Amino acid sequence: MVTDEREHVKVQIEARHQERPAPRIGEPVFRLESVTVAYDEQEAIRDITLDVPANQITAIIGPSGSGKSTMIRVLNRMNDLIPSARVSGKVLYNGQDLYEPAVDPVEVRRRIGMVFQKPNPFPKSIYENVAFGLRVNGMTERLDDRVEQALRAAALWDEVKSDLRKNAYDLSGGQQQRLCIARAIAVEPDTILMDEPASALDPIATQRIEDLMFELKDQYSIVIVTHNMQQAARVSDMTAFLTVEVSQEGKQRTGVLAEYDRTEVVFTNPSDPRTEAYITGRFG
Amino acid sequence: MADPRPQQEARRRFHEELATLEDDIHRCGELAERALTRAMEALMERDPAKADEVIAGDDELDELYISVERRWLEVMALQTPVATDLRLMSVILHVNFHLERIGDMAVNIAKMSQLTRHLPTNPTILSHLQEMADVVRPMIRAAMEAFARRDLQLALRLPDMDEPVDRLNRGMYREVAACGLEHDLIEWAAAMMVVSRQLERVGDHAVDVAEQVAFLLTGEFREFTDASHPGAEDDE
Repeated sequence: MVTDEREHVKVQIEARHQERPAPRIGEPVFRLESVTVAYDEQEAIRDITLDVPANQITAIIGPSGSGKSTMIRVLNRMNDLIPSARVSGKVLYNGQDLYEPAVDPVEVRRRIGMVFQKPNPFPKSIYENVAFGLRVNGMTERLDDRVEQALRAAALWDEVKSDLRKNAYDLSGGQQQRLCIARAIAVEPDTILMDEPASALDPIATQRIEDLMFELKDQYSIVIVTHNMQQAARVSDMTAFLTVEVSQEGKQRTGVLAEYDRTEVVFTNPSDPRTEAYITGRFG
Repeated sequence: MADPRPQQEARRRFHEELATLEDDIHRCGELAERALTRAMEALMERDPAKADEVIAGDDELDELYISVERRWLEVMALQTPVATDLRLMSVILHVNFHLERIGDMAVNIAKMSQLTRHLPTNPTILSHLQEMADVVRPMIRAAMEAFARRDLQLALRLPDMDEPVDRLNRGMYREVAACGLEHDLIEWAAAMMVVSRQLERVGDHAVDVAEQVAFLLTGEFREFTDASHPGAEDDE
């Protein structure tokens, strides 16, 4: 029964995808309603409510321990992989509750791709890194074209087209990260989640990733976690600031959403004094 | 986890530099107001020594203006300020410019006093100029106090303070025309129209400083008075 339901929801998500345009630019692709994530008894984030707009770049900033990575992992059910994690509240993706029992998390992760802090290519050729996800998802028709298209979209094609059989580990860190982006977009997701995608890169490679984000947002909604506030200011349309609330006994530290607004507002005239204190360095 | 202390030390230095820049802006405000006071004394008392003092004293204001500009650029390049810090940086740049211009206007008045000190005068015109000066000097002080105290209500009072200055400046044409056809008096009166215009501009700069203060405090920039739509709010 559950399998049938999963199949049904998978088809629904598939249908929504094929029926694009949905949603329009600026309309919410994600809607978080009172989302709380706890690991065992420890709440990592509490009562987060916000809309993530389609085809825009949304940055999540905040100090260490404020739950930024937990929040982004909620968006494609990556927390499912942690046995102690419990998610409450609603995470709506194009109107579909991602945490309904019938929803297939594998399908969710295909629609909502993720790029991590450290480039993590497979120990295979450049070509195979991109083709792998396509094969797993049965997208083998015109495989070479799809691989090329993904590498072009990730602004890597011109640098690797002459030697697609080269091992991905032989690429530079910046190239490896763009390969991971190519791998993520090859399976045609709607949304790309990026968890500190440039923190391990030099300024030139960082700039290429940021340029790439601007190019990709025409086709994808992007959510990025970054410690680099200037990066958030440079690339994002919306910024969410998470801060840490410490329990009275001082034992529990929980991330809460202090402010969520257009990036230019957050960085010129923030409404919450905690945001002001954090971004101007008047803390501690 | 990285040691947060070096970053906090860098931020502490940044905020100290920001405070120093603001202190220097207030010093500019004092110099500009003093220059205007001395320039009007030179004009009214026909005192060439005071006029020379104003002209020579402008170098101090100019040096401070350039120093603030140079350090402002360094802070922007090195510290990338945001939020209130960013607005304060913007305000410092603008107010620095307005105060330097007020200093230049005081120099213009001092030069006019030198050029006209052998010419006949008209007591009505002198009285109107003194009246204008007696308003614009407190305007500079009020705008700078509003800045120092972060006082929005005081900043919002500047347009009302400016109103008699504008009115007296507009009336100056009639006073000059009433001087008749005597050549030396006409020459003096024409120079006093320039002085009147300088005082009127000082009032405008003081209002501009107050607009900057309002921006600093509210995050929204708006002109208190709209030169392209004068009296628009009163047309109802």
